[in-house]
Amino acid sequence: MDPAGKAQRKSKGGLAIVKRRFVAGVTVPLLLYESLGIFVLGWAFVLIFFDYSSGRLGGPILGLGGSNPFIGLGNFVEMIKGTSVEANLFRVSLRNTLIFAVAILPLNLAITLPLAWLLESIGIRFKSLYRTIYFLPVLTSSVGVALIWMSMYDPQAGWINAIIRFFGGTPVSWLSDPRAGFAGVSVAMWAVILAYLWQDYGYNMVIFIAAFQGIPQELKDAALIDGASPWHVFLKITIPLIRPTMLFVCVMTMLSSFQVFDIIQVMTNGDPGNQTQVLMLDIYKNAFRYQNLGWAAAESFVLFLIVMGVTIFQMRVLRTDWEY
Amino acid sequence: MKHKIFALIVILAFMLTACGGGATGGKTVLRMWVHTNNAFIAGYEPLIAAYEAGHPNVDIQLENFDYELYLQTLQTAMPAKEEADILQLFGTWTSQYYERLAPVPAKVMTIEQAQQTFYAAPIGGYIVDGVLYGMPQEFNMEYGGVLVNKTKFEAAGLTYPPEWQSMDDVVATAIFLAQKDNAGMMSTAGFHFTAADPTAFSFLAGIKQRGGDYWNEDHTGFTFNTPEAHAQLQWMLDVVNAGVVDPVVFNDSTNFVIDAFFQGKVGIGYIGTWAIAEGQNNFPDFADEWDYFYLPPVQGDPVFVADSGWGLTVSPNSKHQDIAWDFVKFVTTVPENAAQWNIASGTIPAMPAVAESAEIASAMPWVPKALAMLPYGEYLGNMPDRDLVVYEIIYPHILNVLQGVETVDQALQAIDTEANSTFK
Repeated sequence: MDPAGKAQRKSKGGLAIVKRRFVAGVTVPLLLYESLGIFVLGWAFVLIFFDYSSGRLGGPILGLGGSNPFIGLGNFVEMIKGTSVEANLFRVSLRNTLIFAVAILPLNLAITLPLAWLLESIGIRFKSLYRTIYFLPVLTSSVGVALIWMSMYDPQAGWINAIIRFFGGTPVSWLSDPRAGFAGVSVAMWAVILAYLWQDYGYNMVIFIAAFQGIPQELKDAALIDGASPWHVFLKITIPLIRPTMLFVCVMTMLSSFQVFDIIQVMTNGDPGNQTQVLMLDIYKNAFRYQNLGWAAAESFVLFLIVMGVTIFQMRVLRTDWEY
Repeated sequence: MKHKIFALIVILAFMLTACGGGATGGKTVLRMWVHTNNAFIAGYEPLIAAYEAGHPNVDIQLENFDYELYLQTLQTAMPAKEEADILQLFGTWTSQYYERLAPVPAKVMTIEQAQQTFYAAPIGGYIVDGVLYGMPQEFNMEYGGVLVNKTKFEAAGLTYPPEWQSMDDVVATAIFLAQKDNAGMMSTAGFHFTAADPTAFSFLAGIKQRGGDYWNEDHTGFTFNTPEAHAQLQWMLDVVNAGVVDPVVFNDSTNFVIDAFFQGKVGIGYIGTWAIAEGQNNFPDFADEWDYFYLPPVQGDPVFVADSGWGLTVSPNSKHQDIAWDFVKFVTTVPENAAQWNIASGTIPAMPAVAESAEIASAMPWVPKALAMLPYGEYLGNMPDRDLVVYEIIYPHILNVLQGVETVDQALQAIDTEANSTFK
């Protein structure tokens, strides 16, 4: 037996053991972590079928049964045709969430796409400066953003009403007047939409800038040589080529707007008259304020189905089969 | 090998720490959970020190949580049986948590003794199905008390202190105090009663004072769509229409009573006495002179409902329930201790003997003014979910009426339907 070869084989065997240990060391904690997540999701799924409150003792197995009775699909039936306050608030919250998400996506795209295009066309020195300025709100905490906008919306001391007063107009209670509205949506909802847009648009803008930078210059040059105007280049070359980015932006924006919570909780907490009560806020209140965990789990499941459905729809519509 | 031994020692150390809860250094350790309120905590700390001085083998560790976080902590800790030995609870929460609370042992206090010791309203919250689950520390009176701005009264040329014989007198005074800016927006509310608790509790008291009730006979359902409820809600709407407050600009989320009053935007602010300590702490620079008064009833006797008050309970999972109950009794039923806590927290005492004491009168001059009313206080009743009924049903619908987006009839119908749906 060649001693050197034996040592080499032993070394290789040792390396294999180290590799196996490394893999085990990395994957076992991950698997444990994942199984914890699966348990939590599984627990939430089970609660959907129970009238469960953590304040009640319930049955012997995990508190299920007894004073936390099994109700099958009762939560979903109640959501559709119930007259309870929970059912009414769920339907109002669902409607408000859809209004919020449907308003946010086009408004966000209408701001971020042209802004990114403009920023991409200016000099490198100012590009970085403006990009930083526009991105700053994204880095700011939602609570901070909410407080800033609340002070601006203050009916008596806010500067928005101060400007209105200066021009002789009638001041508005932006966050608390249930009678004021625009385009069938309450003023309070528009007010939180505006605050949310201001905080969020910098994120999509940066993504669009990156997408624009990824488009080969020769494609645009070729179109220009063929006589296309810059507008046609933007419309016929740039937009189609950033469809994968558009898909990502649309999906992520829709996801985050369906899950909006913190900025609304701080600014209005669902007021006035539940006109800004969105699903996440309703889920939070039911789960943690009213201990109605079964109902909150059922609401979460509905939100999950909606978000999944919208995401699949967007992926179908904006899917591309090519790369450049 | 050395690493394995070290890891074993660390694990053993953790296990010993985990198993050793309840006794350190020969002392019996009890944990006590309360919600974060600096005035309340300042009341508890000297009482804990006094108890520990008398019981050198006991160590009571006070832990506090922000209100919302406290609710969440209770909900997660109780099913896991990880809650503290002594729990501060609000009386109306007892009917939601009683399955997870230890009943008060008869040797500590019977229901009959408790009913003789405390006012009916605060102790009512701690009794569920004929079982006593805790002892109250305060008489939470959201009905009838108002902060009054003396400076604004004098500036408006009004008599001070006010001598209100009826609610008509209050409204008449408030009309003089209300002010609008040049653009027509209300800048000073004459009578701010449109926050959640004042609105809900004046509505419920009004029903009672008019001879009605919001409970059915056997307390298994609500009766909100009644002539008495209609009369009371219509009266509240008439008061708003008289111009004393704009409920769009002054409500629970915009210009809340405490903030607005201590910023000089309110003449008469409807709020419980607990607001006094909070207002003084949060607005130390407020220069206007002010005092606290009580309103006359809308008619008849000043009957009102109160939702118990903060008090102390014990976990059935505590290994030292006897010590925990002894401490609870020490804090809540020894008059000097109860008075000390009420003075520190600025709350109305739950015991008549304490409320009527010279010590309380000296420290909290607004309490003697309430003494004639306190016996009229009735417990709100064990609702399936008090917060849901008050904050998501009664208040939003009444505010809708006052803001002009719902009629009185629509609101009462909705309140009745939705409130009854909370009985499952």
